Amino acid sequence: MTDDAPALAQPSSLRLTPAFLIGAALVGLHVVVGLMTLVWTPYDPTAMTGGRLAPPSLLHWAGTDRLGRDLFTEIMIGARIALAVGSGAVTIAAAIGVTVGLLAAFASRAVDDVLAATLDILIAFPTLLLAMLIVAASDGASLGTAILAIGVAASAIVARLTRILARRVLAMDYVTAARVSGTSWLGIVRIHVLPNIWPTLVVNFALQFGLAVIAEASLSYLGLGAPPPNASWGRLLQEAQATVYTAPFGAVAPGLALVSLVIGLNLFADGLRDVADPTRRRRG
Amino acid sequence: MSAFAAGTGRTSLSVLKATTAAVLLLAAAAPALAADGADATIAIGSLYEPQNLDNTAGAGQGINEAFNGNVYEALFRLNDDGTVSPSLVKDYKVSDDGLTYTFTLQPGVTFHSGDPLTSADVKWSIERVTSADSKSSRKNSLKPIASIETPDDATVVVKLSSRSISLPYNLSYVWVINDAAKDLQTAEDGTGPYALDGWQRGSQLAVKRFDKYWGPKPENGEVVFKYFTEATALNNALLTGAVDVITSVQSPDSLAQFKDNPDFTVAEGKSTTKLILAYNDRVAPFDNVKVRKALARAVDKKKLLEAVWGDYGTLIGSFVPPTDPWYVDLTKVDAYDPESAKELLKEAGYPDGFTFTIDTPNYDPHPLAAQFLQGELAKVGVKVNINVITPNEWYTKIYKAHDFQATLQEHVNHRDIVFYGNPDFYWGYDNPKVAELIKASEEAATVDEQTEKLKEANVQIAEDAASNWLYLYPQIVVSKTSVSGYPVNGLNSQFFAYGIKKAD
Repeated sequence: MTDDAPALAQPSSLRLTPAFLIGAALVGLHVVVGLMTLVWTPYDPTAMTGGRLAPPSLLHWAGTDRLGRDLFTEIMIGARIALAVGSGAVTIAAAIGVTVGLLAAFASRAVDDVLAATLDILIAFPTLLLAMLIVAASDGASLGTAILAIGVAASAIVARLTRILARRVLAMDYVTAARVSGTSWLGIVRIHVLPNIWPTLVVNFALQFGLAVIAEASLSYLGLGAPPPNASWGRLLQEAQATVYTAPFGAVAPGLALVSLVIGLNLFADGLRDVADPTRRRRG
Repeated sequence: MSAFAAGTGRTSLSVLKATTAAVLLLAAAAPALAADGADATIAIGSLYEPQNLDNTAGAGQGINEAFNGNVYEALFRLNDDGTVSPSLVKDYKVSDDGLTYTFTLQPGVTFHSGDPLTSADVKWSIERVTSADSKSSRKNSLKPIASIETPDDATVVVKLSSRSISLPYNLSYVWVINDAAKDLQTAEDGTGPYALDGWQRGSQLAVKRFDKYWGPKPENGEVVFKYFTEATALNNALLTGAVDVITSVQSPDSLAQFKDNPDFTVAEGKSTTKLILAYNDRVAPFDNVKVRKALARAVDKKKLLEAVWGDYGTLIGSFVPPTDPWYVDLTKVDAYDPESAKELLKEAGYPDGFTFTIDTPNYDPHPLAAQFLQGELAKVGVKVNINVITPNEWYTKIYKAHDFQATLQEHVNHRDIVFYGNPDFYWGYDNPKVAELIKASEEAATVDEQTEKLKEANVQIAEDAASNWLYLYPQIVVSKTSVSGYPVNGLNSQFFAYGIKKAD
């Protein structure tokens, strides 16, 4: 039966476009730096090691903040926080979104209508606002609430995408044939649906990852993300705002870090799509 | 009543003449500039938009900034130098027992609606603040008022249940409002030099000179308060000429762009805003004086002040700023000394320190200060968790429910040591000696006696390390060089606009 399914992307067909390579390199750099902070940082992130708002120098590559803490160290740790929130949120979004999406695709017309309308409402609701509500409803802001909030907010989009993709597969003749021959719905999901929809989903996860990183920075900027002294880029930007004229590097450095990771993720996702989408591959 | 300075005239006649002359000259030379000088519009930039227009309905500090002394007047006025002088009161007498105040009102005062000011309006206005549903933070200080009588239209007799030496001061924030006024949340009916001319929520509030004002004519024709939610945007508005003056600058770093620029004037006044780490003195370990003293000694406040304010600001050893008459330099009481802090913790039974949470308002400088405290206290073995909260949460969780271990907060009010005499206040400091001193100071017969008692209370709260007073904010006003005559001290958030002149 699987022979009838559209061909899947095979590793051999991976085309390494320059954009994909740049994206992978940027993301890889952040991953390496983020993991490195688990064992080593240039300074203790909370130690007041330099003067107030010292400019970038050999000792402090990105200068210092108002308390004299090394900004480069804080930005390195910020990469770890961003990646933790991104991967955590995408995992939650994937778990909830794919499950709900598949349920909707298989459900009766009435249930599907209700689920679809609910998802539409959730999607129409701004992600950041939803995240703020979840943080407000829980007992104070923490890294965990930020991950949960962003993950739940993103799950609606994943669910809708899954539902649409799955329904398309379910309409295929070979699926009808499988149903007639008595394959259980779990079997259909495993044999026909998931193998056909995962490439598109993975591309979407990469995009959601980038959006989650931005959402985390926004929440931290508003004081609703990981509490200090967790060095989130959003918090660094917020703290640098008051001193942006006298010490512009305090805002530029975490801003560059944030932009490079999100652009990296988007290029990476674009590259994945070229690989995953057979029509594009043929055109290309 | 020596504490009350003789009425500070708002404008001397000669200044008025000079301005008029200048305006005439300008008008002749350049008719296009006719809006400057005596009829100028002054644009004031502020971060504090009022929630509504009623200071007894939780409007926030912004309403005091825009309306105190500008739109509404009180029986007395708190001047920018901290003195109190009669305003709508022409004259007053105090009985020998200090329990009866007889006020004679200024004649010829008209409300903006055209109604004349009578004693009935004053009675109504005071009772509005003391009424059960008033949300005025000052309600408590007017408690001694037992009754208000109005023997004739120009006389108000206030009878007290106990002496209240601060009554004139306390009456300086009781707006006198027309008792026929209906809507005070979006409209006004005061006696001030300006009448409300329009309020666009989220943007600006305009007041226009009131031509039938009983006092000296303001130096300008119209004042527009423009509201910003963010300090950088506010500074940019001044740089681009969208506003003429900023009521208070919130970071030293933005000053760099104004300081050495001849187009701007930077004025540093004295603020009454204190940043404090308030413990919940009811709960362990903060019910222990030794713990509180240890934490006071563990923090290098000078370093914190430099981090937040650069070269500005003042260190304080208690809650009382140098502008209050009962100020005493108490910075030496629990001066920075981490070694003795460790000793004190050991004596208090915490040789290995302890862990506590600081509920931290989410706006500058609180998160920064919390991280600084976290670093400093870690050095003496005390672990700090930071919980970032919104101002709204602060109000319900801490101010109302007292559900906290410690919190950071800025206290803006002038003469607010009295909060330490109230054991039900959010920080729960309960020393009967201090409560008694503060009560007795209010019942004092003379200002000297009041000052003496409050000095004693001030020393006592410092000895008890009731809270951790981190520093006193500077008060910095920046304006275009062409604009002058604004208040620089910003006491109780007031910003009298009638003296502001524009000399383009």
